[in-house]
Amino acid sequence: MNLKQSATMAILLALIGLISWELYWRSNGYYPTIEDNDALWAAQRKRVDTPNPNDVIFIGSSRIHFDIQLDKWNLYTGLSSIMLAQPGSSPLPIFQDLVENTEFNGTIIVGVTPGLFFSTTYPEARPWKWAQSKVDYFYKQTYAQKFNHLLSIPLQEQFVFINESEMDDAINLKSLVNKFKIGNRNDSKDPPFFEFSDYTIERNSRMTIKCATDTAFANTIKKVWSVFMLDTTLPPPDKNSTTKFFLEQAKKFEARGGNLILVRCPSSGILRDGEQMGLPRERFWDSLISVGNFKSYHFEDIYETKNLDCPEWSHLSGPDADLFTEVLANLLIEDKALPNLNTN
Amino acid sequence: MLFNSLGFMVFIVVVLALYYSKLFNWTNKKRMLLVSSYIFYGLWNPPLIILLWISTMVDWTAGKKLAVETNAKKRKYWLLLSLCINLGFLAFFKYGNFLLENFNAVLQIFGTSYEAPAMDIILPMGISFYTFQTMSYTIDLYHKKNKPAKTFLDFALYVTFFPQLVAGPIVRSKELISQFYDEKKASLNQFLWGCFLLTVGLFLKVVMADSLLASTSDDVFGSDKVLNILDAWSGTLAFSGQIFFDFAGYSTCAIGIALMLGILLPDNFRYPYAAIGFSDLWKRWHISLSSWLKDYLYIPLGGNRHGVTRMYAALMITMLLGGLWHGAAWTYVVWGALHGIFLVVERLLNNRIKIKINNWNGILFALLTYTCVNISWVFFRAKEFATAKNLLQSMFFMNPEGEEILDTWAILKVIIIITVTFLCHWYMRNSSMKAKAENTNPMILGLIWGVLLFFILIAQGSGEQFIYFQF
Repeated sequence: MNLKQSATMAILLALIGLISWELYWRSNGYYPTIEDNDALWAAQRKRVDTPNPNDVIFIGSSRIHFDIQLDKWNLYTGLSSIMLAQPGSSPLPIFQDLVENTEFNGTIIVGVTPGLFFSTTYPEARPWKWAQSKVDYFYKQTYAQKFNHLLSIPLQEQFVFINESEMDDAINLKSLVNKFKIGNRNDSKDPPFFEFSDYTIERNSRMTIKCATDTAFANTIKKVWSVFMLDTTLPPPDKNSTTKFFLEQAKKFEARGGNLILVRCPSSGILRDGEQMGLPRERFWDSLISVGNFKSYHFEDIYETKNLDCPEWSHLSGPDADLFTEVLANLLIEDKALPNLNTN
Repeated sequence: MLFNSLGFMVFIVVVLALYYSKLFNWTNKKRMLLVSSYIFYGLWNPPLIILLWISTMVDWTAGKKLAVETNAKKRKYWLLLSLCINLGFLAFFKYGNFLLENFNAVLQIFGTSYEAPAMDIILPMGISFYTFQTMSYTIDLYHKKNKPAKTFLDFALYVTFFPQLVAGPIVRSKELISQFYDEKKASLNQFLWGCFLLTVGLFLKVVMADSLLASTSDDVFGSDKVLNILDAWSGTLAFSGQIFFDFAGYSTCAIGIALMLGILLPDNFRYPYAAIGFSDLWKRWHISLSSWLKDYLYIPLGGNRHGVTRMYAALMITMLLGGLWHGAAWTYVVWGALHGIFLVVERLLNNRIKIKINNWNGILFALLTYTCVNISWVFFRAKEFATAKNLLQSMFFMNPEGEEILDTWAILKVIIIITVTFLCHWYMRNSSMKAKAENTNPMILGLIWGVLLFFILIAQGSGEQFIYFQF
């Protein structure tokens, strides 16, 4: 058995195959990007345990994740940021973790996406479970997982083929195999859901240029939101229990000197109409602000942001997110809403 | 640490570099392997290394005493000490909550309102494997079937050797400890064959189990609906493939990594889905566990030395405990019971009907065995009896209105993979990968190797844990 010859042949073949694979996907418009996975979230969450007076924590759903651009935030406020917002999730489990399990008493900015914020406190419901899974992962993360994450970052930054995503345009073997369709048995009516954001190691999320400029692509994302809006199996919002839960946690947080700011990021088109119909501002946002007497910023109340248009109805394009961040940062400074700044 | 992770790739490169460097003599190389093994384990949960240390210390001490002690009573006490501590750990960490749940259930039957609160116990990875391994050392010494390890270092390395620490193969002391006495170094061909085995193992795990089969199996077993016959069978077949590729993948990696260090580990799988009957299956599936159960449970229970009834009882007890070894749930016990029944029925039939097995009827018997194995897998994979019951009813035409949850491609994919797997097992039934590789043109072997590597690289996955780690 001449294994030396076989091994040489194997390495050569695997290399040629891999280079061709990488070039093929790059020629199809893919580029290296960081995966927004559990380990990336946990790395940011860990920063909360070593408090820095300049830290501001962002929690919420995908809107605040897309609409706050961390580099701009740092530039305009001079403060550092920890992004813990989690797409598709309620911010409540993460807020609870920050209040109950840390001593953080700086500023937390909560992005309020009405459909998710007021969704549920039921631990098995998806918006809660997704957020809670991040918290659980953080506490259970092993040293081996941390080590793997550390090693994978430089590879993710360099290679397209390193891709763990489960979105419909993912290019790992499992996703590609599952993309095959034959016949129409149990044909899924769900539209495909493509990746429309780029991430950095700091978990900054920025809408892809494709989504911001290609209307046809943005329409594919709109279809996904439409399915959610028309889904009659989703339970109605649970305003009372979510508000009560948030108020209790907010009280504890403020009692130890924490500074809480609520932000409603822009939405547009049919989605905004739907939100206004299903979760009217007066009954949800205004009610929450008044009972808690929170510092709050609603995009509709700010001249520069009230007419911002979201390419896919729910999130701002990169340049608009830059603008939104700048406007919000300036407003917070003007209102002296950031104690970190005042003491600095 | 998982074999299918970037961290492990860095780890193994560093270990191999140190192992083959001229920095250390053999004793120091063994020390380095021991420390590496603790790091390998500790990167998962450092405090649980203490359990490994206690197990090592207790069995080393008991072994030393058993080797020199002549007083029968005292020998028994030393053996009991080792068994109590090892089985005590297993009982507490693995079965603590299970015992408590059953205790509460019994209390409820008697109308007591008291309910013992559940304990928050972490299951130490691989505890069932290393416990069985160290126990075999003291039991063999008690029966004077083995000599004690020459040094503490050799014994500690036997307990902790990282390639097989968390999911086997469960190696007997005489197979492994003696290999640590003299300096070991893999020849170039051995080293490359080890690399090839590592590639094959990773391919089985990352590509076959995780990328191609896991989602179908998860969809079916995770569904709370009453399913259509095709969906139920597809999910069960997918799981039969997934668990084989997952576990055989781990074992192949372990054997390959050890071989890269010049250490030989025994085979753990021998094309089990081509087994003709259940006695044959257990000589091919998780061989190191089934031989352990045979030597340390079935034979001490009487084996076939005390008549037919006692033999069948011994078989049933062995398989029931074998089922429980896999997990702390009654579904595993039922899985073990089914295998016990299959073995008993097979022996009963063997005594009455004599059939000459040839290639033509052999494949039909193998298919029949595989079908029965699939029925047992339903209990192994289902989290609750209700799920298992629904699935079995669907598989046997009792739910004609069952829902369709899989698309055509998912079903077709499973059918293709499982058919090819079954035929491969049949083709390889009396052969081995090494024998086939020796008769293959090196360039063709390189081509196959390259393709496997390529698929591993594009599959990656998110480092799914091996199924058997939980056992």
